[in-house]
Amino acid sequence: MRTDDLIAHLAEELGPVKPGSVTRLLLVALAVGLAASAIVMLSVLGPRHHFAVAITGFGMWVKIAYTFILAALGFWLVERAGRPGADMLRPAMMLALPVLVIVSLAALQMAAPGADMHRLVMGQSARVCAVLIVMVAAPSLVAAFWALRQLAPTRLGLAGAGAGLFAGSLGAFVYAFHCLEDSAPFVAIWYTLGIALTTAIGAFAGRWALRW
Amino acid sequence: MIVQEAQYRDWMLAALAGDTQAYRLLLGGLTRNLRSYFARRLDNGAAEDAVQETLIAIHAKRATYDPALPFTAWVYGIARYKLIDEYRRSKRRATVPLDEAAELFGHDAAQDAIARRDVTKLLDKLPEAKRRLVKDIKLDGVSIADAAMRTGLSESAVKVTVHRAIKSLGEGLEGGDADR
Repeated sequence: MRTDDLIAHLAEELGPVKPGSVTRLLLVALAVGLAASAIVMLSVLGPRHHFAVAITGFGMWVKIAYTFILAALGFWLVERAGRPGADMLRPAMMLALPVLVIVSLAALQMAAPGADMHRLVMGQSARVCAVLIVMVAAPSLVAAFWALRQLAPTRLGLAGAGAGLFAGSLGAFVYAFHCLEDSAPFVAIWYTLGIALTTAIGAFAGRWALRW
Repeated sequence: MIVQEAQYRDWMLAALAGDTQAYRLLLGGLTRNLRSYFARRLDNGAAEDAVQETLIAIHAKRATYDPALPFTAWVYGIARYKLIDEYRRSKRRATVPLDEAAELFGHDAAQDAIARRDVTKLLDKLPEAKRRLVKDIKLDGVSIADAAMRTGLSESAVKVTVHRAIKSLGEGLEGGDADR
């Protein structure tokens, strides 16, 4: 086909694009991913005991706030990654803020008089926490990849990492409703590790799974 | 490039709202940029294929353009992705040179022509002898010694003449009278 004919053909096909269509697509991926991750958590792991009591506790809110903020930044990263020429630097740099807060909080709890270091750091579930977060995050990662492939990621490894961070944080957010741990050091170490693992998986898989 | 950015962006925003005419102009203009970009990096047949692939990608992914960002950077991102794609497919080269958006838009032939026309128009305001000197030395790269030999002036006289001519042109650009 001659290039001039191609242009004529594309112009014929042109329809108006609604503003905000990228955000809408990502919100669909968010809703689907969140629902699927919640189903995995509820069916495989189940919600924690004494849920109504736990939801009022400080530890629960630390987990929810930490993972929610990371998921929001992950959403922003994916949105940037899907647009050619947009850079991911600002949301990436803002990741330092929630991490800094959770690390400070963890340090504070560990420095408190009479703190039980082993319990604060290892809790009851340190050995499974990160792996279970990756498992719960998996459907969210698929949803994020599905959305990104409809956008135009140009640096696939970075875009995959952004999707991984987004999905990992969503997975951790959902996992928080199963997990019994309430100490900040535990969240700072094992939740962050689970999110980092999902990010690494996303970066690795993105290099081929995000090609368009 | 700045002129192109503003013009292309206007066309793109109109196209996103459904303006077919603006879209045609946009794709036509971009085709010239893309041809020279790919021609310098791919074989003949592959270059035109890459142009078409990029145009199709621009069309299919047009919703990902964020009007808050430069349009040229958006197009460049897609063109570079398509170039990497082509290298990957032909397994010709594992790495792509680090270039910039200016690579796609900086050497645009139409822009060069406009700039050259502007300079020529400006030079026309000079008397013949001075114009020849400025053109030889500033545009065509003739050495001052050669120009002095040809005109019979001393080298310092050549330098002074060129310097004054350029200065008067500069004043002309600032709204003064270049003919004095």
